[in-house]
Amino acid sequence: SWRSSMAPPLERPGERRGAEMKKLYGRDSAKILAMEAAMQLNFDRNCDLKQPKYWPVIPLKL
Amino acid sequence: SIPTSAGSEADVEQLPKEQHARSVLRESFLRCLLSVTNKKVQFHMYERVKVEATFGASDIDVMNFQVSDLHTPIGVQKEALIRCQDVISFSFDA
Amino acid sequence: MQCGWSLLGPLQWIRYINKQVKVTAGKDEEHRGWLLTVDPVSASLVLVNFHDDAVGGGRASVQVVMGHAVQEVQVLQDADQETTQRLQSSFLPPRARPLAP
Repeated sequence: SWRSSMAPPLERPGERRGAEMKKLYGRDSAKILAMEAAMQLNFDRNCDLKQPKYWPVIPLKL
Repeated sequence: SIPTSAGSEADVEQLPKEQHARSVLRESFLRCLLSVTNKKVQFHMYERVKVEATFGASDIDVMNFQVSDLHTPIGVQKEALIRCQDVISFSFDA
Repeated sequence: MQCGWSLLGPLQWIRYINKQVKVTAGKDEEHRGWLLTVDPVSASLVLVNFHDDAVGGGRASVQVVMGHAVQEVQVLQDADQETTQRLQSSFLPPRARPLAP
């Protein structure tokens, strides 16, 4: 399901993700992190609210 | 899954440039995704499937698109998730 | 650059920005447009085309080509300064946009 793609890492997720983001985006990492957090929150909220089902049911491309 | 360079001597100078490039590209892409919210989009998918829907949101890993009023060949699905792996391209009017 | 697009990385992708490109994707899709950006996470391209004719009325159409589907990216031409500015302000929040003339 869509939840599996964003399963949290096992240890201190915030800190670890912060460190990864810092490595990838350098001094702009806080801005990117904030934009991503807002976008993911929006996606999660829509999914909770609307309970969308996958279409097509079976992936077209495996 | 994001290619990163690390380790060699040259990368010490390269890294800030690469990070800056990545930030600029990513920010621009995220703004683009945000701007699609509530717009009509046409998805071109594998197996020559073409469908229209109202764009809702994307997850940040670009694995899934949440859409509404998806016009499938057999009718309208009110709420749907589209796997990005099934999609070749999508288009909309800005 | 058969199948290598996803592996190029930010410093390579950024060299294609503000260029008109031809992208082949999937089995038989071909798209042309000004390249606004490449998502560094998915390698997806954002192509913009401006419709300035009477019918188009200054609209822009946008194509997002998923990185995993890209077969080839070919540069056609550079954007002039006006096109670059127009392109890069396409998705900025309204108050960050340069004022209209």
